[in-house]
Amino acid sequence: MISKRFLLKRLLLLVPVVLGVATFVFAILHLSPGNPARTIAGQRASEEFVRQIESDLGLNDPIYVQYGRFLWNAIQLDFGNSYVIRRGTPVTEVLRDRFPVTLELAIYGQLAGIVFGIPLGILSAVKQDSVTDHLTRIGALTGISVPIFWSGPLLILVFATMLDVLPTTGRISSDYSVDAVTGLITVDALLSGNVDAFLSAVQHMLLPSLVIGVYSMALISRMMRSSMLEVIRQDYMRTARAKGQGAKITVMKHGFRNALIPVVTIIGIQFGSLLGGAVLTETVFNITGIGVLLVEAISVGDYPVVQGTVLLFAFLFTLVNLGVDVTYSILDPRIEQ
Amino acid sequence: MSSETTSQRTDKDQYRRGFFERLRQSSFLSELLSNRLALLGLGIILLIVVVAVQARLFLDLEAIKATQLGTNPSMAGPCGERSVIAAIQSAGSCAHPMGTDLQGRDIFDRVRYGAWLALKYGTVTVAASTALGVGLGTIAAYYGGWIDNLIMRTMDVLLAFPSLLLALALVAIFGAGLWKAVIALTLVYTPRFARVVRGAALKVLEDEYIEATVSLGARDRRVILRHVLPNAIAPITVQSTLNYGLAIIDIAALSFLGFGASAGTPSWGLMLSNGVDQGLLSGHWWWSFFPGLLLALTVLGFNLLGDGMRDALDPRMREAVD
Repeated sequence: MISKRFLLKRLLLLVPVVLGVATFVFAILHLSPGNPARTIAGQRASEEFVRQIESDLGLNDPIYVQYGRFLWNAIQLDFGNSYVIRRGTPVTEVLRDRFPVTLELAIYGQLAGIVFGIPLGILSAVKQDSVTDHLTRIGALTGISVPIFWSGPLLILVFATMLDVLPTTGRISSDYSVDAVTGLITVDALLSGNVDAFLSAVQHMLLPSLVIGVYSMALISRMMRSSMLEVIRQDYMRTARAKGQGAKITVMKHGFRNALIPVVTIIGIQFGSLLGGAVLTETVFNITGIGVLLVEAISVGDYPVVQGTVLLFAFLFTLVNLGVDVTYSILDPRIEQ
Repeated sequence: MSSETTSQRTDKDQYRRGFFERLRQSSFLSELLSNRLALLGLGIILLIVVVAVQARLFLDLEAIKATQLGTNPSMAGPCGERSVIAAIQSAGSCAHPMGTDLQGRDIFDRVRYGAWLALKYGTVTVAASTALGVGLGTIAAYYGGWIDNLIMRTMDVLLAFPSLLLALALVAIFGAGLWKAVIALTLVYTPRFARVVRGAALKVLEDEYIEATVSLGARDRRVILRHVLPNAIAPITVQSTLNYGLAIIDIAALSFLGFGASAGTPSWGLMLSNGVDQGLLSGHWWWSFFPGLLLALTVLGFNLLGDGMRDALDPRMREAVD
C-alpha cells in the first residue's frame, strides 16, 4: 500500500518544478526574437494596426502583470489563441484535436517496445553469454543508435516503395472517412464498424509505431536482462529450485515478478522520450500530431501554440514520472524510506 | 602508496601519480579492454575520427557546398557516365562511390565532411555540458543548503521536459543554426551531468578522510580538486561517452527538423532531410541512405564504448555478469 505521506511529499516536491516550467514557458514568448503583434498582423500591416494588437494582447503591460496573467490563465487551461496555424482558435482546442494522434502513436510504440523488449530481455538473461544473448544485446545497442529519421525512411523505402505492401505516410487511406470520436484513429475506425477502415488504420500505424518503439524495446530488453540476472542470483531463487520447482516456473514466478520493478521505471521514463521521438516520427511519416504542430509553430512564430505544446509535453512527462515513482513505491515499499 | 614516499613528492607529482596509479590499479581499464564490443566501438570511433580529420584537411568546404549542376559539366568519371544527369541517376559508380545528389554534388565527399561537422559540434556540446554539469554538481554537493536546493531545483525544471522537446523550445528562443543548436543541447544535457557528479561527490564527501583533510586545514578548492573530482572522474567519463552519441543524434535531429545547419552545409541531418523530402519516393535512395548510415555507425560506436565503460564501472553489474 502507498502511504499518504509519501504521495503528499512527492506532490509538494512538484510545486517548484511546475512553477519553474511555467516560468520557462512564459519566457519563451518574451525572449523570442520578433514582435508577436507583427506576426499576427502580417508584414504589410500598418504600424497602427500592430499597436492595436499589442494593446489587445496586453503586451504593453509591465512584465509582472503579464506573468501573473499568464499563470492565472494557465491554471484555467487558457493559453490564448493561435497566431498563425489556426488563427484565432484557442490553443487548447488545437491541442485537443492534435493530441490524441500523438498519444496513439506513443501507446502503440510503447506496446511494441514492451511486447518485444521483455521476452527478449528474459531470454537474454536466462541464456546468458550465448549467441542469442550477444545478438540481443548488439541488437539493442543498434536500436538505440539508429536515428528515427533514418530507420523511418528506410522502412518506407523497403515496405512501401519497393515491396508495396504498406502505405507510405498518413494515418488512414483517403478512401475512408471516419468520424473523430476519441481522436484515436484505430479506435474511431473500429467504432465506425468499418472493418476495412480499421485495417487501413492499423496498416498505417504499423511502421511508425515500430520505428518509435525500437528505442523503448532496446532499453526495456536491456533493463530486463540486467535486472533478471541480478534476481537469478538471489537466495530465494535457489530455495525455490531446491524445493524441487522446475526451472521455468522458478524464473517466471519468482524471478520475473521481482525483476520487473526496475523495468517498470524504465518503461515510464521511456514514455517521456517516446513523446520526444514522436516529433521526429510524425515528421517522417507525415502524421499530424502535436510533434509536427510544435515544429510548425516554431517555424512560423506561432508562440501561443509553442507555449501550449511545450507545457503539455512537460505536464505529461512530469505526470508519467510521478506515476512511475508511485508505482515503484507500491511494488517495492522499501523505496519510501 | 605509503605515506612516507608521498610526503616527499611535490603536490603536482603526487596528484598525477595518484591518478594514474588509481587508474592502473582499478579493474576498470582491464575490464574495458577485455570487452570486445567496447573495443569494436573504439575502433569505429577511431575510424570516423580519421575520416573526419582527413576530410577537414583535404576537402574544400566551399566546393562541397557549391552546386555542381551546370557549373561543372565535364564530370564524366572513369566509369563512363557522360553527363551530370547520368551521374545523378547512378547510385554508385567509380567516380562517385555514393552517387551524387540533386545538385550534382558528390555524396561521398559530403558525407565525409559531415563526419567532421558531427564530431566538431558533438565535442563542443559534450565538453560544454560536462564542464557546466561538473561545476554545478560539485558546488551543489559541496556547499549544500540553499545553494544545493537552488541548483538542483533548476536542474529538475530542465529535466521536466523530454530532451528533444526542451531543445526545440530553446531553439524557439535562440533561432535556427548549428551553434545555437549546440547551446540549446548543452543546456539540455547539463542537468544529467550535474546529477551524476553531485551524487558521486556526496558519496566521497561522506568519507571520513574528507573530514580529516578539512580539519587539517585544507581549503575548499583543494578538497574539491584533489579528493572530490578525481573520485567522480569515472562516472563522468561514462556519462560523457554515452552522451556523445546522443549529442550527435540530437544535433542531426535539429538539422533534420530545419533548425540546425543552413542550406548547403554537408551536415548529416540536413542531407537526410533533403534526401528524404526530395529523393525517397522518386527512388533516389542514396541521397538519404549514406548520411544516415554514417550517423548511425558513429552513434553506435559511442554507445558500444560507453556501454562497455558502464559495465566496467558498475560493480553491481560486474557481480551479475561474471
